[in-house]
Amino acid sequence: MPLIEIHALTKEYAKGDQKIIPLQDMSLAIDKGDFVSLMGASGSGKSTLLNIIAGIDKPSAGTIHVAGTDITKLSRTQLAHWRARHVGYIFQLYNLIPVLTAYENIELPLLLLPLTRAERHKRVEIVLEAVGLTDRADHYPRQLSGGQEQRVGIARAIVTDPVIVVADEPTGDLDAETSEQILQLLQRLNAELGTTLLMVTHDPKSAAIARRQLRLEKGVLLEPDPPKVALAAQGA
Amino acid sequence: MWKFMPYIAKSLWRNRTRSILTVSGAAVAMFVFTFVGSVQEGMANLNRGSQTERTLIVFQANRFCPYTSFVPEDYTRTLAKMPGVLEAVPIKVYMNNCRASLDVVVFNGLPPDKLLKIRDLKLASGDWSTFEKQRDAAVVGNALAKRRNLSVGQRFSVGAATVMVAGIFTAANAAEESFIYTHLEFLQRTRGLNSVGTVTQIEVLLADGTDATAMCRSIDEKFRGGPIQTDTRPKGVFQTRAVGDLVELIGFAHYLGYACAFLVLTLVGTTTLMAVQDRVREHAVLQTLGFSWVRIFGLVMMESLIVSLLGGCLGTGLAMAMLSWKGLAVGSEGVTIAFSTSPMLAAAGLLATTLVGLTAGLLPAWTAARAEIVESLRSI
Repeated sequence: MPLIEIHALTKEYAKGDQKIIPLQDMSLAIDKGDFVSLMGASGSGKSTLLNIIAGIDKPSAGTIHVAGTDITKLSRTQLAHWRARHVGYIFQLYNLIPVLTAYENIELPLLLLPLTRAERHKRVEIVLEAVGLTDRADHYPRQLSGGQEQRVGIARAIVTDPVIVVADEPTGDLDAETSEQILQLLQRLNAELGTTLLMVTHDPKSAAIARRQLRLEKGVLLEPDPPKVALAAQGA
Repeated sequence: MWKFMPYIAKSLWRNRTRSILTVSGAAVAMFVFTFVGSVQEGMANLNRGSQTERTLIVFQANRFCPYTSFVPEDYTRTLAKMPGVLEAVPIKVYMNNCRASLDVVVFNGLPPDKLLKIRDLKLASGDWSTFEKQRDAAVVGNALAKRRNLSVGQRFSVGAATVMVAGIFTAANAAEESFIYTHLEFLQRTRGLNSVGTVTQIEVLLADGTDATAMCRSIDEKFRGGPIQTDTRPKGVFQTRAVGDLVELIGFAHYLGYACAFLVLTLVGTTTLMAVQDRVREHAVLQTLGFSWVRIFGLVMMESLIVSLLGGCLGTGLAMAMLSWKGLAVGSEGVTIAFSTSPMLAAAGLLATTLVGLTAGLLPAWTAARAEIVESLRSI
């Protein structure tokens, strides 16, 4: 049974007199441990789809089952509790809390779970090590480079051991070399920890590192054959 | 909520200048609020207690200032013989200022052996025997001693009167602590006062069950044909009339208290709203991480409450400390209203700041909590 099952999903909203329908009657299934990239032109609805799956936006119609829960039926408060336990979100602009250290930023989502201080400490230490930032734990975001900030963002997204991690253009604000490092880190998390990843990107090279690549065109989801670059990256 | 205190504290410290200015503004407002409260409490204390109902003040008719009242001292004997009278004590009042003043010094000259019969005083330092033996000795109220920096053994002058401080007393009624008690004969014979044989007023202590109003009429009737006609009133009524102008002013002052609370409300509300507007995206990030709208609401409310309480504690604490230290009193026509401090007043100040802090936080907290996540994430 797939981890995420989207059925007949439609999202529409009004912009002035115009009715915008970024997603229409879309269906999709993502298996546990999958690494899916989602590409598309600007305004194609890829971020909307990501936000709906992450539970921060509501669809106009359709159902989304994540690990057996239809999240479209949840209230705003229930959805918040669900996100705390099931979703990790990686932002393009990192969105770290500037007044908190790297350690405190990573610990923040854990404060919502019934964990002791010691348990939280242990989890933060583990993910800090996983993203290679143990020596930067006490640094504030302004004291970190863009790549380091994004690694803190990734650590914050995985620290609760969520069912799914969504990443909205995670390398969109980074240089080529740092982007490569971040993509490798995501790939490693997926491979070693079995984290289910859904990544939105407009960069074909970034998309190619995913095991499964999807493309959104005019609200329609296409699943092309794996491109050669992806096969090469996976050693196929 | 305690787990989030570091985040709340750091958020407040993020705009420390703004936070400090708001706390300072709230502190100043709560200082004034407490100050006003202490005057009102002093006013309420003035006429509290059974003594104000069971005690009559016999004053010269058609006179208001103690300087102009000259009641024959021998009226005391007549009064003492009246049925229902427990004690009649002649008192000469002398003070540095007959009009409303913040530093009024009031001498009450009376037979020393009568003092403890009509007043509930406890000596904090000095001794009664020195007071009773020495003609120019005086016992000074604790508040006045603090205000004027007086100590036992010291000589102290106000106008024509120079006394030796034989003791410093505390009293159940805070207003009493702004008085000086000395010997009647000493004051009567003080150069310039020239009032041997007359007193300012006679204080009459009634037995339980005596009708005070009827007794007032009876006393004034008795002296209607005498050399000086009298105007007798229960002590509470007498005091209220004496400080009549101040009562109106103090009554108006409670609006000042409300204004102070409103000032804190607008200050804290504005600061919290600005803090929320600065962090639209941050609150959206927190919601994305799983913070519920109720949690966000609580975080903003806590920020508002902390700013308000910090200002409240600072302002109320400073006002309480200053009032206790300075022993301020406002007086008029020989009656003083002590600026009273009490745990109730401190609690009222803190309760006011808590309520104001919570009220001020409502709109910003609601704004932050109900913002749409996706839309807020796009904000700069």
